Amino acid sequence: MNNIFLITKREFLTQVKKKSFIILTLLAPILLIAFGSVIGLMFKANESHSIIEVVDKSGLFKNQLKSDDQINYVFVSAADEKSKINNLKGNESLDGILILPELKSENFDDLEQNTRLVINSKIGFDTKQKIVSDINNVIKKEKIKQLGIAETRLNNLDKSFTLKTINVSENNKEDSDLNFGVKTVLSMLLMYVTFMFIIIYGVRVMRSVLEEKNNRVVEIIISSVKPFELMMGKILGVTLVALTQFFVWITMSVIGAVVLNTGFSSMPKNMPGESEGMMGKFDILQMGSQISHSLLELNFPLIIFVFIVFFLLGYIFYSSIYAAIGSAVDNETETQQFTLFAILPLTLGMYGSFTLMNNPDGPLGFWLSIIPFTSPVAMIARIPFGVPAWQIALSIGLLLGTTIFMIFLAGKIYRVGILMYGNKATLKELWKWIKG
Amino acid sequence: MLKAEHITKTYNAGKKVALDDFSIHVPKASIYGLLGPNGAGKTSFIRIINQITQADSGDVFINGEKLNPTHIKDIGYMPEERGLYKNMSVGDQIVYFGELKGMSKNDAQNEAKKWFDKLHIDQWWKKKLSELSKGMAQKIQFVVTVLHRPHLLILDEPFSGFDPVNANLIKDQIIDLKNNGTTIILSTHRMESVEEMCDYVALIDNSKKIIDGRVFDVREKFKKNIFGITLSEVNDSQLDTFKNKYEIFNLSNENNLVSFDLKNESDQNHIILDLVNVGKVRSFDERIPSMNEVFINAVSNNS
Repeated sequence: MNNIFLITKREFLTQVKKKSFIILTLLAPILLIAFGSVIGLMFKANESHSIIEVVDKSGLFKNQLKSDDQINYVFVSAADEKSKINNLKGNESLDGILILPELKSENFDDLEQNTRLVINSKIGFDTKQKIVSDINNVIKKEKIKQLGIAETRLNNLDKSFTLKTINVSENNKEDSDLNFGVKTVLSMLLMYVTFMFIIIYGVRVMRSVLEEKNNRVVEIIISSVKPFELMMGKILGVTLVALTQFFVWITMSVIGAVVLNTGFSSMPKNMPGESEGMMGKFDILQMGSQISHSLLELNFPLIIFVFIVFFLLGYIFYSSIYAAIGSAVDNETETQQFTLFAILPLTLGMYGSFTLMNNPDGPLGFWLSIIPFTSPVAMIARIPFGVPAWQIALSIGLLLGTTIFMIFLAGKIYRVGILMYGNKATLKELWKWIKG
Repeated sequence: MLKAEHITKTYNAGKKVALDDFSIHVPKASIYGLLGPNGAGKTSFIRIINQITQADSGDVFINGEKLNPTHIKDIGYMPEERGLYKNMSVGDQIVYFGELKGMSKNDAQNEAKKWFDKLHIDQWWKKKLSELSKGMAQKIQFVVTVLHRPHLLILDEPFSGFDPVNANLIKDQIIDLKNNGTTIILSTHRMESVEEMCDYVALIDNSKKIIDGRVFDVREKFKKNIFGITLSEVNDSQLDTFKNKYEIFNLSNENNLVSFDLKNESDQNHIILDLVNVGKVRSFDERIPSMNEVFINAVSNNS
C-alpha cells in the first residue's frame, strides 16, 4: 500500500511540475474562449448589411416593407427610376434597386412577374431570400385584407398550442420543454467531460508506462515493488493530475463568471433603445430563473454520486486497458492499432447517447447504460432524466466487477509486457500472457 | 548466503526452457560470477531471486530462509536493461528509489550524500538526469543500486556501457563492498572481469549449469598439463635428445630464444632437470587456461 502511495506521489508530482502541464492548464480556458470568440467574429464578419432602394409604383409597400439590421429599404420616387439604374453601376454605397410595378386589378401574379431587383454586384443568397420573404409577407397581408378578415383574428389563428406534461412518478411535476432542454444540456455536458477525460488521461497513463519502458527504469522499480502496484500507482497518480486540472478549470470558470457578472451589471443603463433592451433583459432573467429552477428540481446528490462513481470506475477501467497497451509495445506509433480497442466502445457509447436524448428510457439507452464498456458515458448521459434505482445498482455492480477483472487482465499483460523489448506483441501473444 | 536448489523455469507453457535443474551456492562476502552466453538463463535466474518472476519448481534460500517478499529490501539489483527517469532531478530520483526500498527520506538523503562524496559527484544533486552525460548517469545508477545498504548485490552486466575510467571506479567500489561483508552476484560474459574480481563462478549454457566452484579450482580443472618453456643458448644436439624424450609442439626459434610447449602428465621437476642440459632456462610455466578458454571449451563441449 505504501508503495502504491509512493508511486502515485511521484507520478502526480512529475506530471504536475511539467511546464507543459502548467501552461496548458492555465491557457486552455483562455484559448477556448479566444477560439470561441474568433469563430463568433467570423460569423459576424460574414453578415452583410445591404442598402436597397425601392421604387414602389403600387403604393402597397410603403410603410410595410420594414428595414432591419440586414437590409435597409430606402423608398425613392418612381420618376428617378431610369437615372438611378444608370447610376447604380459603380455605386458602392448602394447594393440594388427593387422595382415593384403597379398593381392592376388585384392581379398579384402579374405583380410578381413584373417585379425586378436590379443589382450591381453579387447579392448573397440570404439577402435575396430575405427580400423575397419580406415582399411575401406584405402581399399575404394584402390578400388577407381582401378576404375581409381582421388582422387580430388572424394572429389568434396562428397561436401555437402548448402541451403541459405532468409526470406522475415524479410528484406530479410539470415537465416543461425548457426543463427537458436543461436536462439535455446537463446530460451532454457531463457525458462529454467524462468521454474527453477518459481518453485524454487514459492516453497519459499509456505514455507514462511507455516512458518507463523506454527509459529502461521499469525493471529497477519492479525489483522493489510488484508490477501491479506500479500500474495502480500510475493510474491513481494520473487520476489526481486529472482532478487537479479539473479543479483549476472549475475555479477559473467561477472566478471568470463572477468577474463577467460584475462587469455586466455595472454597464450604463440608459442606452438608446432601452425599452427593447429591457424587454430582452427581462426575458433572459426570467429564463435564467426558470433554468435555475429546473436545475434545482434535479436530484443533485444522486447525479453527483452517479457522475463520480461512473467517472472514476470508467476512467480506471479504460486506463488499465491503456496501461496494458503501453506495456505491450515499444513506442507510441505502435500503440495505434491497440488503442482502437479502447476508443471504439467509448465512442459507440457517446454517439449512442446522442440518440438516447429522444427516448432516455428506451431499450438503446437501457443497454448502453448497463453494458460496462459504454455505461460510463451512457449512464452519465441518462442520469439527469432520472434512472430507476435498480438499473443504477445493476450498472454499478457490473462496471465494478468488469473493472476489477480488467485491472486483473491488464496486470497480467503489464507484468510480462514491461520486460519485453524490441518486438511488438501480437494479439495472440497477449492472450498467451494473460493465460500464463 | 544464497542457496538455489533445483530451479526450473520455462516460458510459453513449457516450450522454452530457461533454467533446467539449476543449483548454486553463493558464500557470504564473496563475489560470485554467473557466466554464460546470451540467452543461457542468467537473467531468468536473477529475476527469480529478485522475485520479478517465479520459478516453476525449486527453492531459493537466503541465509537459510526461504525467499520471500521481506528479502526485497535486502537486495540491490542493477539490471542489464537499466535507466533512470530523464525528467526528474538526481536527488529526487535517488530518494524515490530509496523510499521504494523502504528507507525514510532522511536516511536516503544521508546515505546518498555519502556515496556522492565518495564518487565526487556531490554537485549534481539538483541537476536533471537529461543534463548529465552517460558516464555520469551510470554513477547515479550505481548509487541507486547500493543506496539501501543491501546485503546481497546483484549486478547484471555491470560494466556494459561504462567507459574504462568509470568501470575501474565502480570495480573498486564493488570490491570495497565485498570486503565490508556484502555478497555480490555478478552476471557477465566478459571473462576478464571475472578473473580479476570473482572468487567463485558458475557456468551456465543452454539453461543448464555446466560447472561451478572457486575460480582457481575451475581453471585448474580445465588445465591440460601443458607447460610453456623458453630457453637461451641452446645446445642443438641436446635439444634433439630432449625432443625424443618428451612430446613437444609449437616450437619456434627467434632472436636465439627457443620456445615450445610440452605435454607432461608426470612430475614436472624431472623436465627441469633435463632442461638444464639443453640450455639456460629463461621461463617455465604451466599453461593454466584463462576463464575465456575455460568458457569456450566448456560451452563447445556441452553443445
